Amino acid sequence: MRRLLIKHDSVRDVLIFLLPSFLGFCIFILFPIIASVGLSFTNYRGGKTIAFVGLKNYLIAFHSSGFQEAFWVTLTFVVFTVFFQIVLGLVFALILNQKIVGRSFFRGIIFLPVVLSTIAISLAFMLIFNPQKGPVNNFLMSIGFDPLAWLASPKTSLMTVIIVTVWRQFGYYMVLLLCGLQTINPTLYEAAEIDGADSVRKFRHVTLPMLTPILFLCIILALIQAFQVFDQIFVLTGGQQGGGPAGSTTTLVFDIYLNAFNNWQMGYSCAEAIILLIIILVITVIQYKRQQKWVTYDII
Amino acid sequence: MRRKKINPWVILGYICLVVATLVVLFPLAVMVSSSFKDEMAIFDYPIKFIPENPILDNYRQLGEHFPRYIMNSFKVTIIIVIAQFITATTGGYAFAKLRWKGRDTVFLIYIGALMIPLQVYIIPQFILIRKIGLYDSHLALVLVSTFTALGTFLFKQFFMTIPDSLIESAKLDGATQIQIFTRIILPLSKPVIATQAILSFRWFWNDFFSPLIYITSEHLKTLPLGLADFASEYYTYYGPQMAASVLSIIPVMVLFFVAQKYIVQGIFTSGIKG
Repeated sequence: MRRLLIKHDSVRDVLIFLLPSFLGFCIFILFPIIASVGLSFTNYRGGKTIAFVGLKNYLIAFHSSGFQEAFWVTLTFVVFTVFFQIVLGLVFALILNQKIVGRSFFRGIIFLPVVLSTIAISLAFMLIFNPQKGPVNNFLMSIGFDPLAWLASPKTSLMTVIIVTVWRQFGYYMVLLLCGLQTINPTLYEAAEIDGADSVRKFRHVTLPMLTPILFLCIILALIQAFQVFDQIFVLTGGQQGGGPAGSTTTLVFDIYLNAFNNWQMGYSCAEAIILLIIILVITVIQYKRQQKWVTYDII
Repeated sequence: MRRKKINPWVILGYICLVVATLVVLFPLAVMVSSSFKDEMAIFDYPIKFIPENPILDNYRQLGEHFPRYIMNSFKVTIIIVIAQFITATTGGYAFAKLRWKGRDTVFLIYIGALMIPLQVYIIPQFILIRKIGLYDSHLALVLVSTFTALGTFLFKQFFMTIPDSLIESAKLDGATQIQIFTRIILPLSKPVIATQAILSFRWFWNDFFSPLIYITSEHLKTLPLGLADFASEYYTYYGPQMAASVLSIIPVMVLFFVAQKYIVQGIFTSGIKG
Protein backbone atom coordinates (compact mmCIF):
# COMPACT_ATOMS: atom_id res chain seq x y z
CA MET A 1 0.00 0.00 0.00
CA ARG A 2 2.52 2.56 1.14
CA ARG A 3 5.51 0.83 -0.33
CA LEU A 4 7.47 4.02 -0.88
CA LEU A 5 7.40 4.85 2.79
CA ILE A 6 8.68 1.47 4.04
CA LYS A 7 11.69 2.04 6.24
CA HIS A 8 13.81 -0.48 8.04
CA ASP A 9 13.53 -0.61 11.80
CA SER A 10 16.57 0.38 13.79
CA VAL A 11 19.22 -2.29 14.30
CA ARG A 12 18.81 -1.93 18.04
CA ASP A 13 15.09 -2.73 17.92
CA VAL A 14 15.63 -5.71 15.66
CA LEU A 15 18.35 -7.12 17.88
CA ILE A 16 16.27 -6.73 21.04
CA PHE A 17 13.53 -8.84 19.51
CA LEU A 18 15.66 -11.25 17.55
CA LEU A 19 18.38 -12.13 20.03
CA PRO A 20 16.38 -14.03 22.67
CA SER A 21 15.47 -16.65 20.12
CA PHE A 22 18.25 -16.39 17.59
CA LEU A 23 21.37 -16.34 19.76
CA GLY A 24 20.55 -19.54 21.62
CA PHE A 25 19.28 -21.08 18.42
CA CYS A 26 22.64 -20.51 16.75
CA ILE A 27 24.54 -22.01 19.69
CA PHE A 28 22.36 -25.00 20.54
CA ILE A 29 20.68 -25.88 17.24
CA LEU A 30 22.37 -24.40 14.18
CA PHE A 31 25.95 -24.95 15.28
CA PRO A 32 25.34 -28.62 16.23
CA ILE A 33 23.69 -29.23 12.86
CA ILE A 34 26.74 -27.90 11.03
CA ALA A 35 29.11 -29.65 13.44
CA SER A 36 27.27 -32.91 12.80
CA VAL A 37 28.26 -32.71 9.14
CA GLY A 38 31.86 -31.98 10.17
CA LEU A 39 32.04 -34.80 12.73
CA SER A 40 30.73 -37.29 10.19
CA PHE A 41 34.08 -37.02 8.38
CA THR A 42 36.09 -37.87 11.52
CA ASN A 43 36.78 -40.90 13.69
CA TYR A 44 35.67 -39.12 16.88
CA ARG A 45 34.84 -41.55 19.69
CA GLY A 46 34.11 -39.14 22.51
CA GLY A 47 37.69 -39.04 23.77
CA LYS A 48 40.57 -36.66 23.17
CA THR A 49 41.73 -37.90 19.78
CA ILE A 50 40.07 -36.91 16.57
CA ALA A 51 41.24 -37.35 12.99
CA PHE A 52 39.84 -36.59 9.58
CA VAL A 53 38.90 -39.81 7.76
CA GLY A 54 37.13 -38.44 4.70
CA LEU A 55 34.19 -40.46 3.47
CA LYS A 56 35.20 -43.60 5.35
CA ASN A 57 32.24 -43.51 7.77
CA TYR A 58 29.81 -43.23 4.89
CA LEU A 59 31.44 -46.11 3.04
CA ILE A 60 31.35 -48.26 6.16
CA ALA A 61 27.68 -47.44 6.62
CA PHE A 62 26.76 -48.39 3.06
CA HIS A 63 28.56 -51.70 3.38
CA SER A 64 27.48 -52.56 6.91
CA SER A 65 24.68 -55.06 7.25
CA GLY A 66 23.56 -53.35 10.46
CA PHE A 67 22.99 -50.08 8.64
CA GLN A 68 21.22 -51.72 5.71
CA GLU A 69 18.96 -53.63 8.05
CA ALA A 70 18.16 -50.45 9.97
CA PHE A 71 17.40 -48.75 6.68
CA TRP A 72 14.86 -51.40 5.66
CA VAL A 73 13.30 -51.51 9.11
CA THR A 74 12.91 -47.72 8.97
CA LEU A 75 11.44 -47.83 5.49
CA THR A 76 8.93 -50.55 6.42
CA PHE A 77 7.96 -48.68 9.54
CA VAL A 78 7.57 -45.37 7.71
CA VAL A 79 5.52 -46.77 4.82
CA PHE A 80 3.07 -48.67 7.02
CA THR A 81 2.60 -46.05 9.72
CA VAL A 82 2.19 -43.18 7.27
CA PHE A 83 -0.26 -45.16 5.15
CA PHE A 84 -2.48 -46.29 8.00
CA GLN A 85 -2.35 -42.97 9.85
CA ILE A 86 -3.44 -41.02 6.81
CA VAL A 87 -6.10 -43.51 5.67
CA LEU A 88 -7.61 -43.88 9.14
CA GLY A 89 -7.30 -40.15 9.72
CA LEU A 90 -9.13 -39.45 6.47
CA VAL A 91 -11.87 -42.03 7.06
CA PHE A 92 -12.66 -40.67 10.51
CA ALA A 93 -12.40 -37.07 9.37
CA LEU A 94 -14.98 -37.84 6.66
CA ILE A 95 -17.27 -39.56 9.15
CA LEU A 96 -17.00 -36.72 11.65
CA ASN A 97 -17.61 -34.15 8.95
CA GLN A 98 -21.20 -35.46 8.74
CA LYS A 99 -23.96 -34.39 11.07
CA ILE A 100 -23.08 -36.84 13.80
CA VAL A 101 -24.56 -36.89 17.28
CA GLY A 102 -21.74 -36.59 19.83
CA ARG A 103 -19.29 -35.32 17.28
CA SER A 104 -17.00 -33.43 19.64
CA PHE A 105 -17.06 -36.39 22.06
CA PHE A 106 -15.84 -38.81 19.38
CA ARG A 107 -13.32 -36.30 18.08
CA GLY A 108 -11.97 -35.80 21.60
CA ILE A 109 -11.64 -39.51 22.30
CA ILE A 110 -9.89 -40.33 19.04
CA PHE A 111 -7.53 -37.40 19.50
CA LEU A 112 -6.82 -38.23 23.15
CA PRO A 113 -3.85 -40.65 22.64
CA VAL A 114 -1.95 -37.91 20.79
CA VAL A 115 -1.51 -35.89 23.96
CA LEU A 116 -0.52 -38.77 26.22
CA SER A 117 2.98 -39.86 27.17
CA THR A 118 4.35 -42.41 24.72
CA ILE A 119 6.22 -44.09 27.54
CA ALA A 120 3.07 -44.68 29.60
CA ILE A 121 1.13 -45.87 26.57
CA SER A 122 3.90 -48.24 25.54
CA LEU A 123 3.92 -49.80 29.00
CA ALA A 124 0.17 -50.41 28.81
CA PHE A 125 0.60 -52.06 25.42
CA MET A 126 3.34 -54.31 26.77
CA LEU A 127 0.81 -55.63 29.25
CA ILE A 128 -1.86 -56.02 26.58
CA PHE A 129 0.47 -57.80 24.16
CA ASN A 130 2.07 -59.97 26.82
CA PRO A 131 2.77 -63.24 24.92
CA GLN A 132 1.98 -65.62 27.79
CA LYS A 133 -1.04 -64.17 29.51
CA GLY A 134 -1.97 -60.85 27.88
CA PRO A 135 -5.61 -60.10 27.08
CA VAL A 136 -5.05 -59.94 23.31
CA ASN A 137 -3.62 -63.45 23.15
CA ASN A 138 -6.33 -64.70 25.51
CA PHE A 139 -8.87 -63.23 23.15
CA LEU A 140 -7.22 -64.78 20.09
CA MET A 141 -7.21 -68.19 21.75
CA SER A 142 -10.83 -67.88 22.86
CA ILE A 143 -11.91 -67.42 19.24
CA GLY A 144 -9.75 -70.30 18.09
CA PHE A 145 -6.60 -68.60 16.81
CA ASP A 146 -3.02 -69.34 17.78
CA PRO A 147 -1.49 -66.82 20.18
CA LEU A 148 1.16 -64.49 18.69
CA ALA A 149 4.52 -63.66 20.23
CA TRP A 150 4.03 -59.93 19.48
CA LEU A 151 7.07 -58.04 20.77
CA ALA A 152 8.98 -61.21 21.62
CA SER A 153 9.52 -62.44 18.09
CA PRO A 154 11.49 -60.80 15.26
CA LYS A 155 8.60 -61.64 12.92
CA THR A 156 5.93 -59.68 14.73
CA SER A 157 7.79 -57.08 16.82
CA LEU A 158 7.93 -54.38 14.14
CA MET A 159 4.25 -54.92 13.35
CA THR A 160 3.42 -54.47 17.03
CA VAL A 161 5.35 -51.20 17.19
CA ILE A 162 3.52 -50.04 14.06
CA ILE A 163 0.14 -50.87 15.63
CA VAL A 164 0.98 -48.89 18.76
CA THR A 165 2.23 -45.94 16.72
CA VAL A 166 -0.82 -45.82 14.46
CA TRP A 167 -3.10 -46.15 17.50
CA ARG A 168 -1.38 -43.18 19.10
CA GLN A 169 -1.07 -40.86 16.10
CA PHE A 170 -3.94 -41.20 13.65
CA GLY A 171 -6.15 -38.88 15.68
CA TYR A 172 -3.72 -36.07 14.96
CA TYR A 173 -4.18 -36.42 11.21
CA MET A 174 -7.91 -36.82 11.68
CA VAL A 175 -8.09 -33.41 13.36
CA LEU A 176 -5.95 -31.78 10.67
CA LEU A 177 -8.00 -33.31 7.85
CA LEU A 178 -11.24 -32.45 9.60
CA CYS A 179 -10.12 -28.82 9.75
CA GLY A 180 -9.33 -29.08 6.06
CA LEU A 181 -12.76 -30.51 5.25
CA GLN A 182 -14.48 -27.71 7.10
CA THR A 183 -12.75 -25.08 5.00
CA ILE A 184 -14.29 -26.50 1.80
CA ASN A 185 -16.81 -24.07 0.42
CA PRO A 186 -20.33 -25.60 0.75
CA THR A 187 -21.47 -23.94 -2.49
CA LEU A 188 -19.21 -26.36 -4.35
CA TYR A 189 -21.32 -29.26 -3.09
CA GLU A 190 -24.51 -27.48 -3.99
CA ALA A 191 -23.19 -26.88 -7.49
CA ALA A 192 -22.25 -30.55 -7.78
CA GLU A 193 -25.73 -31.57 -6.61
CA ILE A 194 -27.33 -29.38 -9.21
CA ASP A 195 -25.17 -31.12 -11.79
CA GLY A 196 -26.60 -34.41 -10.50
CA ALA A 197 -23.57 -35.78 -8.72
CA ASP A 198 -24.08 -38.62 -6.19
CA SER A 199 -22.07 -38.81 -2.95
CA VAL A 200 -19.28 -40.91 -4.48
CA ARG A 201 -18.83 -38.39 -7.28
CA LYS A 202 -19.02 -35.48 -4.88
CA PHE A 203 -16.22 -37.11 -2.91
CA ARG A 204 -14.07 -37.76 -5.98
CA HIS A 205 -14.58 -34.47 -7.73
CA VAL A 206 -15.10 -32.00 -4.90
CA THR A 207 -13.86 -33.28 -1.54
CA LEU A 208 -10.68 -34.98 -2.65
CA PRO A 209 -9.33 -32.25 -4.94
CA MET A 210 -10.12 -29.53 -2.40
CA LEU A 211 -8.50 -31.54 0.35
CA THR A 212 -5.20 -32.17 -1.44
CA PRO A 213 -3.26 -29.22 0.05
CA ILE A 214 -3.91 -30.37 3.59
CA LEU A 215 -3.50 -34.02 2.62
CA PHE A 216 -0.10 -33.16 1.23
CA LEU A 217 0.85 -31.39 4.44
CA CYS A 218 -0.31 -34.40 6.50
CA ILE A 219 1.80 -36.79 4.46
CA ILE A 220 4.92 -34.61 4.89
CA LEU A 221 4.33 -34.26 8.64
CA ALA A 222 3.64 -37.98 9.03
CA LEU A 223 6.80 -38.88 7.10
CA ILE A 224 9.02 -36.63 9.20
CA GLN A 225 7.38 -37.94 12.38
CA ALA A 226 7.77 -41.56 11.35
CA PHE A 227 11.47 -41.20 10.54
CA GLN A 228 12.06 -39.83 14.04
CA VAL A 229 10.34 -42.61 15.97
CA PHE A 230 12.27 -43.46 19.11
CA ASP A 231 10.34 -43.55 22.39
CA GLN A 232 8.07 -46.49 21.55
CA ILE A 233 10.96 -48.53 20.26
CA PHE A 234 13.05 -47.79 23.31
CA VAL A 235 10.33 -48.91 25.71
CA LEU A 236 8.58 -51.64 23.74
CA THR A 237 11.64 -53.46 22.55
CA GLY A 238 14.26 -53.51 25.18
CA GLY A 239 15.59 -50.16 26.37
CA GLN A 240 19.32 -49.53 26.44
CA GLN A 241 20.31 -52.70 24.63
CA GLY A 242 17.16 -52.24 22.57
CA GLY A 243 16.16 -52.74 19.00
CA GLY A 244 13.93 -55.75 19.55
CA PRO A 245 14.64 -59.41 19.02
CA ALA A 246 17.45 -59.78 16.43
CA GLY A 247 17.47 -56.07 15.70
CA SER A 248 14.01 -56.37 14.17
CA THR A 249 12.96 -52.93 15.36
CA THR A 250 16.29 -51.10 15.15
CA THR A 251 15.42 -48.07 13.04
CA LEU A 252 18.02 -45.62 11.77
CA VAL A 253 17.38 -43.23 14.63
CA PHE A 254 17.72 -46.03 17.12
CA ASP A 255 20.92 -47.22 15.46
CA ILE A 256 22.28 -43.65 15.68
CA TYR A 257 21.46 -43.62 19.38
CA LEU A 258 23.07 -47.02 20.03
CA ASN A 259 26.23 -46.23 18.08
CA ALA A 260 26.63 -42.83 19.69
CA PHE A 261 25.74 -43.47 23.31
CA ASN A 262 26.38 -47.20 23.77
CA ASN A 263 29.31 -47.82 21.42
CA TRP A 264 30.70 -44.27 21.50
CA GLN A 265 31.32 -44.28 17.75
CA MET A 266 30.32 -40.67 17.41
CA GLY A 267 31.88 -39.94 14.04
CA TYR A 268 30.21 -42.93 12.45
CA SER A 269 26.94 -42.14 14.16
CA CYS A 270 27.04 -38.59 12.79
CA ALA A 271 27.49 -40.01 9.29
CA GLU A 272 24.35 -42.11 9.82
CA ALA A 273 22.54 -39.02 11.06
CA ILE A 274 23.53 -37.05 7.97
CA ILE A 275 22.34 -39.89 5.72
CA LEU A 276 19.03 -39.80 7.59
CA LEU A 277 18.82 -36.05 7.10
CA ILE A 278 19.50 -36.41 3.38
CA ILE A 279 16.82 -39.08 3.05
CA ILE A 280 14.27 -36.84 4.77
CA LEU A 281 15.27 -33.84 2.63
CA VAL A 282 15.08 -35.84 -0.61
CA ILE A 283 11.63 -37.21 0.26
CA THR A 284 10.39 -33.75 1.19
CA VAL A 285 11.71 -32.25 -2.04
CA ILE A 286 10.25 -35.08 -4.18
CA GLN A 287 6.89 -34.67 -2.46
CA TYR A 288 7.11 -30.94 -2.93
CA LYS A 289 7.85 -31.30 -6.65
CA ARG A 290 5.13 -33.88 -7.14
CA GLN A 291 2.54 -31.85 -5.30
CA GLN A 292 2.32 -29.51 -8.28
CA LYS A 293 0.77 -32.39 -10.20
CA TRP A 294 -1.85 -33.51 -7.73
CA VAL A 295 -2.46 -30.67 -5.30
CA THR A 296 -5.21 -28.20 -6.10
CA TYR A 297 -4.52 -24.73 -4.83
CA ASP A 298 -7.27 -22.67 -6.48
CA ILE A 299 -9.59 -22.51 -3.51
CA ILE A 300 -12.78 -20.65 -4.29
CA MET B 1 -24.24 -27.65 6.46
CA ARG B 2 -25.32 -30.11 3.87
CA ARG B 3 -28.78 -31.59 4.11
CA LYS B 4 -28.74 -35.37 4.21
CA LYS B 5 -31.17 -38.19 4.83
CA ILE B 6 -30.23 -40.93 7.28
CA ASN B 7 -28.63 -43.56 5.11
CA PRO B 8 -26.73 -46.81 5.62
CA TRP B 9 -23.45 -44.91 5.33
CA VAL B 10 -24.24 -42.87 8.40
CA ILE B 11 -25.00 -46.04 10.36
CA LEU B 12 -21.71 -47.53 9.17
CA GLY B 13 -20.06 -44.30 10.29
CA TYR B 14 -21.46 -44.69 13.81
CA ILE B 15 -20.27 -48.28 13.94
CA CYS B 16 -16.75 -47.16 12.95
CA LEU B 17 -16.81 -44.43 15.60
CA VAL B 18 -17.92 -46.79 18.34
CA VAL B 19 -15.27 -49.36 17.39
CA ALA B 20 -12.59 -46.64 17.31
CA THR B 21 -13.70 -45.33 20.70
CA LEU B 22 -13.45 -48.82 22.20
CA VAL B 23 -10.05 -49.45 20.61
CA VAL B 24 -8.72 -46.12 21.89
CA LEU B 25 -10.13 -46.51 25.39
CA PHE B 26 -9.25 -50.18 25.86
CA PRO B 27 -5.53 -49.75 26.68
CA LEU B 28 -6.29 -46.79 28.92
CA ALA B 29 -8.97 -48.75 30.77
CA VAL B 30 -6.56 -51.66 31.19
CA MET B 31 -3.93 -49.27 32.50
CA VAL B 32 -6.20 -47.66 35.08
CA SER B 33 -7.87 -50.84 36.30
CA SER B 34 -4.59 -52.78 36.50
CA SER B 35 -3.09 -50.06 38.64
CA PHE B 36 -5.57 -51.05 41.36
CA LYS B 37 -5.05 -54.82 41.06
CA ASP B 38 -2.50 -57.25 42.45
CA GLU B 39 -0.26 -59.08 39.99
CA MET B 40 -2.46 -62.19 39.95
CA ALA B 41 -5.64 -60.32 39.12
CA ILE B 42 -4.10 -58.23 36.33
CA PHE B 43 -4.08 -61.13 33.88
CA ASP B 44 -7.51 -62.53 34.75
CA TYR B 45 -9.44 -63.28 31.60
CA PRO B 46 -12.07 -62.10 30.77
CA ILE B 47 -10.81 -58.74 31.98
CA LYS B 48 -12.58 -57.18 34.91
CA PHE B 49 -12.37 -53.45 34.37
CA ILE B 50 -13.69 -52.83 37.87
CA PRO B 51 -11.25 -54.64 40.17
CA GLU B 52 -12.86 -57.08 42.59
CA ASN B 53 -10.50 -56.26 45.44
CA PRO B 54 -9.09 -52.84 44.62
CA ILE B 55 -5.75 -52.19 46.29
CA LEU B 56 -3.54 -49.13 46.61
CA ASP B 57 -0.26 -51.03 47.11
CA ASN B 58 0.88 -50.27 43.58
CA TYR B 59 0.66 -46.56 44.25
CA ARG B 60 2.36 -46.89 47.64
CA GLN B 61 5.40 -48.43 45.96
CA LEU B 62 5.85 -45.25 43.96
CA GLY B 63 6.28 -43.10 47.06
CA GLU B 64 10.06 -43.34 47.10
CA HIS B 65 10.89 -41.78 43.72
CA PHE B 66 7.84 -40.49 41.95
CA PRO B 67 7.06 -37.38 44.02
CA ARG B 68 10.56 -36.21 43.02
CA TYR B 69 10.03 -37.03 39.32
CA ILE B 70 6.69 -35.26 39.29
CA MET B 71 8.20 -32.18 40.94
CA ASN B 72 11.06 -32.16 38.44
CA SER B 73 8.70 -32.53 35.51
CA PHE B 74 6.51 -29.65 36.69
CA LYS B 75 9.52 -27.45 37.36
CA VAL B 76 11.32 -28.01 34.06
CA THR B 77 8.12 -28.01 32.01
CA ILE B 78 6.94 -24.69 33.44
CA ILE B 79 10.35 -23.07 32.90
CA ILE B 80 10.36 -24.31 29.30
CA VAL B 81 6.82 -23.08 28.70
CA ILE B 82 7.89 -19.61 29.87
CA ALA B 83 11.15 -19.68 27.92
CA GLN B 84 9.36 -20.81 24.77
CA PHE B 85 6.80 -18.05 25.28
CA ILE B 86 9.60 -15.45 25.37
CA THR B 87 11.51 -16.74 22.34
CA ALA B 88 8.42 -17.47 20.27
CA THR B 89 6.72 -14.09 20.86
CA THR B 90 9.81 -11.92 20.40
CA GLY B 91 11.00 -13.98 17.44
CA GLY B 92 7.53 -14.02 15.93
CA TYR B 93 7.34 -10.25 16.27
CA ALA B 94 10.77 -9.70 14.71
CA PHE B 95 9.78 -11.91 11.79
CA ALA B 96 6.27 -10.51 11.36
CA LYS B 97 6.32 -6.82 12.15
CA LEU B 98 9.86 -5.47 12.16
CA ARG B 99 11.40 -4.57 8.84
CA TRP B 100 14.99 -5.56 8.28
CA LYS B 101 17.21 -6.85 5.55
CA GLY B 102 17.34 -10.60 5.15
CA ARG B 103 14.31 -11.17 7.39
CA ASP B 104 12.63 -13.82 5.28
CA THR B 105 15.85 -15.75 4.71
CA VAL B 106 16.63 -15.79 8.42
CA PHE B 107 13.06 -16.92 9.13
CA LEU B 108 13.42 -19.80 6.67
CA ILE B 109 16.72 -20.88 8.24
CA TYR B 110 15.20 -20.65 11.71
CA ILE B 111 12.08 -22.72 10.94
CA GLY B 112 13.90 -25.08 8.58
CA ALA B 113 16.63 -25.92 11.08
CA LEU B 114 14.13 -26.45 13.88
CA MET B 115 12.21 -28.91 11.69
CA ILE B 116 15.28 -31.14 11.47
CA PRO B 117 14.94 -34.10 13.86
CA LEU B 118 16.92 -33.65 17.06
CA GLN B 119 18.59 -37.01 16.55
CA VAL B 120 20.43 -35.64 13.52
CA TYR B 121 22.45 -33.20 15.63
CA ILE B 122 22.19 -34.74 19.09
CA ILE B 123 25.87 -35.79 19.19
CA PRO B 124 27.49 -32.34 18.70
CA GLN B 125 24.83 -30.84 20.97
CA PHE B 126 25.65 -33.42 23.62
CA ILE B 127 29.40 -32.70 23.31
CA LEU B 128 28.70 -28.97 23.55
CA ILE B 129 26.53 -29.33 26.65
CA ARG B 130 29.19 -31.50 28.29
CA LYS B 131 31.98 -29.04 27.39
CA ILE B 132 30.19 -26.10 29.02
CA GLY B 133 29.63 -28.17 32.14
CA LEU B 134 25.87 -28.48 31.96
CA TYR B 135 25.61 -32.23 31.48
CA ASP B 136 23.22 -33.77 34.00
CA SER B 137 21.43 -30.54 34.88
CA HIS B 138 17.94 -29.19 34.33
CA LEU B 139 19.44 -26.12 32.69
CA ALA B 140 20.67 -28.33 29.84
CA LEU B 141 17.10 -29.48 29.18
CA VAL B 142 15.86 -25.90 29.20
CA LEU B 143 18.57 -24.61 26.86
CA VAL B 144 18.06 -27.28 24.22
CA SER B 145 14.25 -27.17 24.38
CA THR B 146 13.63 -23.43 24.33
CA PHE B 147 13.51 -22.89 20.59
CA THR B 148 10.31 -23.81 18.86
CA ALA B 149 9.46 -23.81 15.18
CA LEU B 150 5.78 -24.36 15.88
CA GLY B 151 5.50 -21.58 18.46
CA THR B 152 7.43 -19.02 16.45
CA PHE B 153 5.38 -19.86 13.40
CA LEU B 154 2.13 -19.66 15.37
CA PHE B 155 2.94 -16.19 16.73
CA LYS B 156 4.30 -14.90 13.43
CA GLN B 157 1.07 -15.94 11.69
CA PHE B 158 -1.02 -14.25 14.35
CA PHE B 159 1.01 -11.04 14.48
CA MET B 160 0.71 -10.68 10.73
CA THR B 161 -3.07 -10.36 11.13
CA ILE B 162 -2.63 -7.32 13.38
CA PRO B 163 -2.91 -4.20 11.21
CA ASP B 164 0.26 -2.16 10.72
CA SER B 165 -1.72 1.02 11.24
CA LEU B 166 -2.11 0.12 14.91
CA ILE B 167 1.64 0.00 15.32
CA GLU B 168 2.21 3.10 13.19
CA SER B 169 -0.19 5.21 15.22
CA ALA B 170 1.40 4.05 18.48
CA LYS B 171 4.76 5.06 17.04
CA LEU B 172 3.40 8.51 16.22
CA ASP B 173 2.33 8.77 19.85
CA GLY B 174 5.95 8.21 20.77
CA ALA B 175 5.82 4.57 21.85
CA THR B 176 8.98 2.47 21.49
CA GLN B 177 8.87 -0.98 19.88
CA ILE B 178 9.13 -2.60 23.30
CA GLN B 179 6.17 -0.63 24.60
CA ILE B 180 4.17 -1.46 21.49
CA PHE B 181 5.03 -5.12 21.95
CA THR B 182 4.20 -5.41 25.64
CA ARG B 183 1.20 -3.03 25.77
CA ILE B 184 -0.52 -3.58 22.45
CA ILE B 185 0.62 -6.77 20.77
CA LEU B 186 0.79 -9.19 23.72
CA PRO B 187 -2.61 -8.25 25.21
CA LEU B 188 -4.13 -8.88 21.77
CA SER B 189 -2.52 -12.32 21.58
CA LYS B 190 -4.08 -13.97 24.64
CA PRO B 191 -5.76 -16.86 22.76
CA VAL B 192 -2.56 -17.69 20.88
CA ILE B 193 -0.54 -17.47 24.08
CA ALA B 194 -2.91 -19.97 25.70
CA THR B 195 -2.68 -22.31 22.71
CA GLN B 196 1.09 -22.16 22.60
CA ALA B 197 1.44 -22.62 26.37
CA ILE B 198 -0.73 -25.75 26.28
CA LEU B 199 1.08 -27.22 23.29
CA SER B 200 4.49 -26.66 24.79
CA PHE B 201 3.40 -27.97 28.20
CA ARG B 202 2.14 -31.16 26.65
CA TRP B 203 5.25 -31.44 24.51
CA PHE B 204 7.86 -31.21 27.21
CA TRP B 205 5.82 -33.06 29.83
CA ASN B 206 6.00 -36.09 27.52
CA ASP B 207 9.48 -35.47 26.15
CA PHE B 208 11.68 -38.48 26.67
CA PHE B 209 14.65 -38.17 24.34
CA SER B 210 16.45 -35.13 25.74
CA PRO B 211 16.10 -36.21 29.39
CA LEU B 212 17.40 -39.65 28.34
CA ILE B 213 20.49 -38.05 26.83
CA TYR B 214 21.15 -35.29 29.34
CA ILE B 215 20.06 -36.60 32.75
CA THR B 216 21.65 -39.41 34.75
CA SER B 217 21.20 -38.41 38.41
CA GLU B 218 18.27 -40.05 40.12
CA HIS B 219 17.16 -36.81 41.79
CA LEU B 220 17.07 -34.89 38.48
CA LYS B 221 15.00 -37.30 36.40
CA THR B 222 11.77 -36.11 34.87
CA LEU B 223 8.65 -38.24 34.80
CA PRO B 224 8.99 -39.98 31.39
CA LEU B 225 12.62 -40.90 32.08
CA GLY B 226 11.87 -41.97 35.63
CA LEU B 227 8.93 -44.01 34.38
CA ALA B 228 10.98 -45.80 31.71
CA ASP B 229 13.81 -46.57 34.15
CA PHE B 230 11.36 -47.73 36.79
CA ALA B 231 9.69 -50.00 34.25
CA SER B 232 12.95 -51.59 33.15
CA GLU B 233 13.91 -52.19 36.76
CA TYR B 234 10.55 -53.68 37.77
CA TYR B 235 9.74 -55.11 34.39
CA THR B 236 7.92 -58.13 35.76
CA TYR B 237 5.68 -56.06 38.02
CA TYR B 238 2.86 -54.64 35.95
CA GLY B 239 0.82 -53.19 38.81
CA PRO B 240 3.33 -50.54 39.91
CA GLN B 241 4.17 -49.77 36.26
CA MET B 242 0.53 -49.09 35.48
CA ALA B 243 0.13 -46.97 38.61
CA ALA B 244 3.13 -44.87 37.56
CA SER B 245 1.75 -44.59 34.03
CA VAL B 246 -1.59 -43.38 35.34
CA LEU B 247 0.18 -40.69 37.39
CA SER B 248 2.14 -39.53 34.37
CA ILE B 249 -0.87 -39.12 32.10
CA ILE B 250 -3.22 -37.44 34.57
CA PRO B 251 -1.92 -33.84 34.24
CA VAL B 252 -2.05 -33.81 30.42
CA MET B 253 -5.39 -35.55 30.45
CA VAL B 254 -6.86 -32.87 32.71
CA LEU B 255 -5.28 -30.18 30.54
CA PHE B 256 -6.69 -31.84 27.46
CA PHE B 257 -10.27 -31.97 28.66
CA VAL B 258 -10.17 -28.42 29.98
CA ALA B 259 -8.49 -26.89 26.94
CA GLN B 260 -9.30 -29.14 23.99
CA LYS B 261 -10.50 -26.12 22.04
CA TYR B 262 -7.08 -24.44 22.19
CA ILE B 263 -5.20 -27.60 21.26
CA VAL B 264 -7.32 -28.17 18.17
CA GLN B 265 -7.01 -24.49 17.32
CA GLY B 266 -3.23 -24.71 17.57
CA ILE B 267 -3.02 -27.75 15.33
CA PHE B 268 -5.29 -26.04 12.87
CA THR B 269 -3.32 -22.77 12.63
CA SER B 270 0.06 -24.44 12.54
CA GLY B 271 -1.12 -27.04 10.08
CA ILE B 272 -2.85 -24.86 7.55
CA LYS B 273 -0.37 -22.23 6.59
CA GLY B 274 -2.75 -19.31 6.61
